[in-house]
Amino acid sequence: MNLHLEIDAVSKSFGHVSALEDIHVNVERGSFVCLLGPSGCGKTTLLRIIAGFERQSSGHLRLNGKDISTVAPHRRNFGMVFQSLALFPHMNVAQNIAYGLKLRGIKGAKQRERVDELLHVISLPEIADRPVSALSGGQRQRVAIARALAVQPEVFLLDEPLSALDAKLRDNMQIELRQLQQQFGVTTVLVTHDQTEAMMLADQLVVLDRGRVQQCAPPSEVYRKPASAFVADFLGSANIVQAKANAHGSHELFGQVIQLKNKSSQSHSVELALRAEDIQLKASDVNDIEANGEIIMLRDLGPSMEAIVKFEGNQIRVRSNDPELRLLELGRQVSLQFDPNRCIEFA
Amino acid sequence: MSKTKILLLCFPALLTITPFLAACFFIFRFSFSANQGAIEGFSFTPYLELADPFFIRSLLTTFKLASFSTVIVIVLAIPLALVMATVQKPWLRRLLSVAILMPMILNLLIQSYGWIILLGPTGVLNTSLRELGLISRPIMLLFNESGVLLGLVQTALPLAVFPILTATRNISEEHIEAACVNGASHWRCFFDITLPLLKPGIISGASIVFAYNASAFAIPLLLGGRRVQMLGVAIRDYISPLFNWSGAAAAGMVLIALTIGVLALANYLTQRWTVTEYQS
Repeated sequence: MNLHLEIDAVSKSFGHVSALEDIHVNVERGSFVCLLGPSGCGKTTLLRIIAGFERQSSGHLRLNGKDISTVAPHRRNFGMVFQSLALFPHMNVAQNIAYGLKLRGIKGAKQRERVDELLHVISLPEIADRPVSALSGGQRQRVAIARALAVQPEVFLLDEPLSALDAKLRDNMQIELRQLQQQFGVTTVLVTHDQTEAMMLADQLVVLDRGRVQQCAPPSEVYRKPASAFVADFLGSANIVQAKANAHGSHELFGQVIQLKNKSSQSHSVELALRAEDIQLKASDVNDIEANGEIIMLRDLGPSMEAIVKFEGNQIRVRSNDPELRLLELGRQVSLQFDPNRCIEFA
Repeated sequence: MSKTKILLLCFPALLTITPFLAACFFIFRFSFSANQGAIEGFSFTPYLELADPFFIRSLLTTFKLASFSTVIVIVLAIPLALVMATVQKPWLRRLLSVAILMPMILNLLIQSYGWIILLGPTGVLNTSLRELGLISRPIMLLFNESGVLLGLVQTALPLAVFPILTATRNISEEHIEAACVNGASHWRCFFDITLPLLKPGIISGASIVFAYNASAFAIPLLLGGRRVQMLGVAIRDYISPLFNWSGAAAAGMVLIALTIGVLALANYLTQRWTVTEYQS
């Protein structure tokens, strides 16, 4: 445990509109933190506060225990990759990467050495003299990353840097980005609205919604034990369902009796999350009305099939690579089966 | 659209430009005339006769005033354009545009008299200062080179603001922020990012201003009080009291050559400056 960047009770409001409320995040040295949330959740504002482009309305930022709340952005020694990448169009690739070095008085052979080193790290040693306009999307991406890392920043910030790339390239860049981050061991904060990207990259996920931290934990924990219905729904397509209390002090879901761990909610119905891949479909007789749902949509996702089942007026999403699912057709009556241990309760 | 159709559409424009080109050609031909009053024979005399102190001084004055006014106009126009680029409200934007364009809309004569009323020997400023007892004799702000410079700067400002304003679209807020994160202070950002990215606008604005002011006529005549002989005024003197048409034509040719030469040199120098700057 080695605390590097500490976001302590940071709030931000624009006029009467509150963008962030009482944000606490501790970033370990060398860790990769993803700020994840839907658009308008305040994640970009939080990143801009960390970078120093916005000043928080209250709260503190500490770096290595020192308060940097009022330090100007150009004195923070951070590196940042912007959504538009913002490569300087009037400089070539090497000049872009060298810009921060130049400002730090690193000149001549030393500067060239460092630029070469970074061009090798991003495996593009041959493009040093090219104008930025002659680069492909992936190359620009890498140059922007190299420019941010050239100055050996205290903290590496990324604002949805991969959102403009096509799916395949984005996937490759995610792997590269993660490798680079580990190679440099640089403390990193990335903003994204893409839950897969966040899961794949982060050591620590910070899920934000409407300016508040919903959950702050490693990805696997956020996935397995989401703190709220919002988190469960945002990370992976979870079904938010109501389990009804029955006469025997337990609950029922899809006609199956389940025992909840949370004893306080014995008497009334409880909101649960159940992931699409944790439900199985079974073709059932028309007579067995009680436990039946009807398939109202089917789609082939390639490796798996997805079905949407209408059950008691709710639409339940089911995903499976079970070949049997492929045999079902639209309008078919099915029963929904699941392992009760897979039900996610919220605190 | 086919090429012939496009050419056909250009026809009216070509028609209007033809007499102008013809006039240019005749003036060019006139500048090599052996006769001062008509196009006759071929001679270099009109050009050789320009090598007198009156003309040389006029040429230098023109070069000096056009250059100074261009530099001042650009320095004034850059912040103005940057401020205009940040204005979001449409009505405020329009109001600012009209205010900046005013010198183009108002008659030059009216503007010049405006300056005379304000800064002339019996103008508002001098009268006030004399009433306050700060001066006994009026300060000569007009009817000399400084007066002409003032007029040139004021009338040419809009010509520079709008090209620079257009160039601000090359700069996104993220460019500035990227430089800032890299460690650049506000001034560094301005010189390293803003200014180079505004370069195309600055060059075109400066070119227009220089050409416009080098050929200025009304401003030096009205605010220079016959003492500041810029080329526009000198050329008229060749024609009107002297009836030296071929000399006027030759002087006109020199003016055009001066303008084109300065613009080409400026362009060349700015190109070189940007190429070499980051290699160090």
